[in-house]
Amino acid sequence: MSEQKQQVLEIKNIFEQEFSRFADVRNTINNLSLSVAENLRHEISEFKIKHTGKKSLIAEAKKLIGRVAPEERGTFGQFVQSVEKEIVTAIDGLEEKLKTYINEVKTAREAIDVTLPARRPRVGHLHPLTLLRQRIEDIFVSMGYAIEDDREIETDYYNFDALNIPEGHPARESQDTFYTTTGLALRSQTSTVQIRAMERRGAPLRVIAPGRVFRRDTPDMTHVPMFHQIEGLCVDKGITMAHLKGTVAEWLRRLFGKDTKIRMRPSYFPFTEPSAEFDFSCFKCDGTGTFEGERCRPCKGSGWIELGGCGMVHPNVLKNCNVDPEIYSGFAFGFGLERMCALMYALDDIRYMFDNDVRFLEQFR
Amino acid sequence: MNISYNWLKDLIETDLTPQEIAENLTKIGLAVEGIHPFANDFVFDIDLTSNRGDCLSHWGVAREISAIADCGLRIADSNLERNSANPDLVTIQDADLCHRFTARIIKNVKIKPSPEWLVKRLEAIGQRAVNNVADITNYVMHELGNPMHAFDLNKLAEKRIVVRRARVGEKMQTLDEVERSFSEDMLLICDSEKPVAVGGVMGGLHSSISDETTDVLLEVAYFKRDSIRQTSRKLGLATEAAYRFERGVDIENLIRASNRATELIIELASGVAGDFVDIYPTKREEISVELRYEKIKALTGLDVSNEEAARILTKLGFKSAIRNPQPAIFTVPTWRHDISIEQDLVEEVARHVGYDKIGVELPPSVGAGEYQPNEVRKFHLRQALANLGFDEAISYSFIDTKNDDTFELIPDLVDEELEEKFVTLQDSIIEGAVRMRPSLLSGLLDAVRTNFNHQRKDVKLFELGKVFATASNEMDLPKEQELFGLVLTGGETFEGKSMTGRELDFFDTKGALEVAMDAINLPSLQYKPKEIKHLRKGQAAEILFNGRTVGSIGRINDEISATYKFRQPVYVAEIDLQTLLAEKENAVFYKPLSKFPAVTRDVSFLVKRTTSYTEIIQTVQDQGFDLCKNVSFVDVYEGKGMADDERSVTIRLEYRSDERTLIEAEVEEIHRQILAEIETKLGAKQRF
Ligand SMILES: [Zn+2]
Repeated sequence: MSEQKQQVLEIKNIFEQEFSRFADVRNTINNLSLSVAENLRHEISEFKIKHTGKKSLIAEAKKLIGRVAPEERGTFGQFVQSVEKEIVTAIDGLEEKLKTYINEVKTAREAIDVTLPARRPRVGHLHPLTLLRQRIEDIFVSMGYAIEDDREIETDYYNFDALNIPEGHPARESQDTFYTTTGLALRSQTSTVQIRAMERRGAPLRVIAPGRVFRRDTPDMTHVPMFHQIEGLCVDKGITMAHLKGTVAEWLRRLFGKDTKIRMRPSYFPFTEPSAEFDFSCFKCDGTGTFEGERCRPCKGSGWIELGGCGMVHPNVLKNCNVDPEIYSGFAFGFGLERMCALMYALDDIRYMFDNDVRFLEQFR
Repeated sequence: MNISYNWLKDLIETDLTPQEIAENLTKIGLAVEGIHPFANDFVFDIDLTSNRGDCLSHWGVAREISAIADCGLRIADSNLERNSANPDLVTIQDADLCHRFTARIIKNVKIKPSPEWLVKRLEAIGQRAVNNVADITNYVMHELGNPMHAFDLNKLAEKRIVVRRARVGEKMQTLDEVERSFSEDMLLICDSEKPVAVGGVMGGLHSSISDETTDVLLEVAYFKRDSIRQTSRKLGLATEAAYRFERGVDIENLIRASNRATELIIELASGVAGDFVDIYPTKREEISVELRYEKIKALTGLDVSNEEAARILTKLGFKSAIRNPQPAIFTVPTWRHDISIEQDLVEEVARHVGYDKIGVELPPSVGAGEYQPNEVRKFHLRQALANLGFDEAISYSFIDTKNDDTFELIPDLVDEELEEKFVTLQDSIIEGAVRMRPSLLSGLLDAVRTNFNHQRKDVKLFELGKVFATASNEMDLPKEQELFGLVLTGGETFEGKSMTGRELDFFDTKGALEVAMDAINLPSLQYKPKEIKHLRKGQAAEILFNGRTVGSIGRINDEISATYKFRQPVYVAEIDLQTLLAEKENAVFYKPLSKFPAVTRDVSFLVKRTTSYTEIIQTVQDQGFDLCKNVSFVDVYEGKGMADDERSVTIRLEYRSDERTLIEAEVEEIHRQILAEIETKLGAKQRF
């Protein structure tokens, strides 16, 4: 048997000699280029066939097992198998290591910069006035109001007379109102919609009228000759100024947060009596007047922001719409959307609203 | 308006600090915009509403404070005699415009600068001192609210006054040294010969107080408010006097104001009081207003006792003959021109009780809210366009007349028969922009130019808005029609990427319209090649809905591009949104899914460029083969290897039965017939 054993040891010897050419690979593997590593892997798989395949020396050696004396056959068999295992393990080990390395290199090569911009078409932007109008409309619809709009070119009756603004009233002087060559007015307030809505719907009603209005103001940072107003009207039995205050407070809270406070100051409008202006606590400084240690900009340090006018609908206006002021009372309020937009977005020049400059428009969503 | 703190304290018994006074005034509706220190005084800058002419003086403001702070007012008595030896001193010829006129003669005055205290008072409220007599008239106006005028008596012809309307061609040089001519509706103060002042507006230069003046005629009068407003506007003379007369002064306070000024002139200009005349032909009618006390709560929600309400009104000068039982009747004080109904009294009480005391309640809820009928669809439309990369534009409704006849307008907007087919403003604030826009396109092209000027070359914008036109029937108000317009130019853009993609073209524009139609849930539009005024020939189409023209689409022509200095193609579309939104929306009905496989065939045709894709599709559909379930677009090719007037169109035909699997021969037969028809009918040649 020693002869056969000698033969096997010889096979092992030959393998080790030939395998020694891969000896360095283990240590230098991390320096290999991908192509060298792939060539090596190919070489090793051929090497594996040569040393472990059907025609390999070790396969031949297995045939010797039958020639050994039966009592030694077991021991010899185990010996041959252990040599074979040694060879296979050595080759597989190296092969596995190369395979792992090649995968790593390939993965590294396909690594992407995940911080690069996404791939998607540019998305457009709604106009800030649309965005704000929609938010406010949503609030009022949820509070039971109907949204209404109507004509932009109006008769003096709807723009003035029906609103208790008689001829000769300062608010009616033509320096504020645009007139067409046929003597019609571009509506100077959305209150015209109050009248038309009351004529259509009668009382009781709850209506919000957002719309475009026109006044002959020369454009500057805070004036434009065309702007948008939102006007609210609620007519019912038993409506009081407390309802007016509550309604204005409620929608401003829904827009600016639950801690928003409002106040009303006496004022004068021909179409309301009593009349008031309403302010709300500044959303930026929470009504403190200072923001980050400096005088707050939106409220000019007062803590209050003036927003619009309001009041109890003048009995003459109700009568003009065939609503009996002895049975019904109502409140109305109105404010400018551009001004509110400018406040919310810290915009210092409202002329940008109608320039349609994309650099401006794309700042809003 | 400026009000001095020290001056107020002369008139009311109060210890309130400037801050406290400011807070109180703001609370009752006399908004104090600022408190400015001046020497040893403080000046309130008060923003008065136009109805409160009675508060255009220190006395008026003091009266409000006396009500809110419940303190007394100081009224100085006068011992001046009110007799007149000369009844012809003043004649009022037009009592409809001059309701009351008082005149006082003061002799032997010495014109000189005013004493320092008077100069300081005037300076504190922003008034410039001139001389003692002029300063006194100014001072008393700011104290008591009645404008007045001092004439040099010796410069008045016959030393008398005639109040009358101007005569044709009458002229006078006013105090501001401007020669003015008057129209017959203007009221003048004249002597026996000529005008010496524009009543209630400004005095004449010739009869004004000068250093030589020794005898003065002091006028304190009341003029009709509307008349003063008109005269002041027409002459372009906005004076402090006119400002007060327009808003209404206290007609019952003339004598007091006259006496106050006379006494000051005696004291500061060492004059001697002479004749006094008071002519009062047009008496003010007393106004009484009924107040049902419960109306205060009904309108404001405030709980105010009847006694407190009456106290406030009394302090404000309202007199009540009847307080109980209800309703109370209050007489409106002569200085209040803004009170005529019960609600006005409610406001007086409410603002003095304080709007801060008004509760915060929501009205009882009724019914559900609702958007405007098409608001939700327009919301979807806007959102869809934004998702497609369009920014929303809002442009001015008035545009320049130079845009007239530049654009083909949507059908049925303008009545070409009319002489004035567009709505036009009498004048504008923005130069040239007097036309109410009949199209959204001019605004959108202006916007493109704005963006080009800012190096923004890739622009996609849309706008929803009204256009205007004269109605055919002149009795009707102008037409207002809501349109949808869009403009696009440049290349495809991507979020966060500077490099643009493919150049946008006609089909991107058409795609955007399709997205819009999907968003408002309508069937698709049809496109028909047509020459359109503002569009480039061959890249223009009219847009139809159910056979009816609703707008246009295409590339802006070279001529317009040149005027806008556009150096790249710009595409626009405009449709009549209002008409489309009135159409019936798509209804969705389920179609059973087919159990049998389809056979598809792609075919390319060589066609003349004048043959449209729609014609090819139509030819297939017209043959009405049930088994041909669908025909769709694959590709189009023009250019290399193709004659200039030809293009290649590839379509896909899909054959299927709902009952069985089709056999090859059956499909082949129908397919052959369809292709043959396309070839014969359209002169197309199949390409392989
Ligand atoms: Zn603030």
